[in-house]
Amino acid sequence: MTTVETDLLVVGAGPVGLYGAYYAGVRGLRTAVVDSLAQVGGQVSAMYPEKQLLDVAGFPTVSGRALVQGLVEQAAAYAPTYLLGQEAQTLDRIPGAVGGADRLVVRTSAGTEVVTGAVVITGGIGTFTPRPLPAGEAHLGRGLEYFVPSVASYAGQDVVVVGGGDSAVDWALMLSPVARSVTLVHRREQFRAHPGSLEALRRLPVEVVTNAQVVTTAGEVGLEQVGVRVAEETTERTLPCQRLVAALGFTANLGPMREWGLTLHDNRHLVVDQAMRTNLPGVYGAGDIVDYDGKVRLIAVGFGEVATAVNNAAVHLDPSAQLFPGHSTDGPLVTAPTPDRQPV
Amino acid sequence: MPYVIASACIDVMDKSCIEECPVDCIYEGERKLYVNPKECIDCGACEPVCPVEAITQDRRVPDDDTDFVEDNRRFFVEVLPGRDSPLGAPGGSHKTGAIGVDTPMVAER
Repeated sequence: MTTVETDLLVVGAGPVGLYGAYYAGVRGLRTAVVDSLAQVGGQVSAMYPEKQLLDVAGFPTVSGRALVQGLVEQAAAYAPTYLLGQEAQTLDRIPGAVGGADRLVVRTSAGTEVVTGAVVITGGIGTFTPRPLPAGEAHLGRGLEYFVPSVASYAGQDVVVVGGGDSAVDWALMLSPVARSVTLVHRREQFRAHPGSLEALRRLPVEVVTNAQVVTTAGEVGLEQVGVRVAEETTERTLPCQRLVAALGFTANLGPMREWGLTLHDNRHLVVDQAMRTNLPGVYGAGDIVDYDGKVRLIAVGFGEVATAVNNAAVHLDPSAQLFPGHSTDGPLVTAPTPDRQPV
Repeated sequence: MPYVIASACIDVMDKSCIEECPVDCIYEGERKLYVNPKECIDCGACEPVCPVEAITQDRRVPDDDTDFVEDNRRFFVEVLPGRDSPLGAPGGSHKTGAIGVDTPMVAER
């Protein structure tokens, strides 16, 4: 088991959580960010990376992907610890000594134990779970994957990607230069992916099979081939395939957070006050997951809420600290300590 | 803010939208599907997959179908025939399964 000691834990690495990590850095807090997805950016990266957002202050238009990348760079100046691909599962409290603050312990699905002074929950619509490909479940982890962990491991392989959205098309584009073959199988005629990505796809040797479904997988140990049923074809096609990537979207659910003792509204939103405090001392919320009278669920609002949450958490951690963080123009320019970027 | 399923769904119930919805907020009546306005996150994934174009954002519902904005809400906040309490926000149609009844407005069509 890994233990991470930190001042502030951000639960949810969507845009609001990433901006919270930046603000926690401004406050001089050691910060960790946990997310159930293997990538940062939450709903924006998972569902609409190519959508142009028109309502982010200061950006007349910005793609979801570019916004997330910018947020990661902004937070990188303070080197937050990212705990990706693991779900925050339990929350426990270690009572502080007399006059001292409690410590909070969050355990994740990967067995990480985060010991922190405060928690800011920016969990949006909850834990994302990839929608399963039932026909391939027998080969899960032996050829079937729901994420592409590293492109290099696909070198020389016959890959079948299933899905019609941005993720499916993006993965087909990424894998085509390294794989032996890439086939994209989609249940419908029309793709939902960005037209620019589809144009790029046409220039690559990716075989596109529409109105089709992967119906069987075969292989003794690892995956060897898949059966594809195409509408209006009488016989099933058999394709050699060692790696099957299913990008069928996600379902989201508040998940284990329901058991943390938080006051919920409509069984899915955290009730917070004007300082973004939940009912649990030291636990704050911001973004789509919170609710209060007059709440508007927009990214612009979430950015403001998380600045409020983090600055109030900073005072919770150090009651002698000022609530107001100062202006970003007050100090010397802080730049990233390393050129590393988190993958977006 | 939510998406709304209107008259074109009645007696079609293709259910492609249910497969797309990331928050599982589309519930099955007897002859029509209903979006739970408390659970819909306004992502729009359902709209393009509907074969009969029954789904639109609530602020863009065609004039002759505007009754369905309120009717989608009624499915969840009013007590449906044969039930003891409103559905409310059950947190996903996979949990509830098909509800199997319609609102009185849909039942009369």
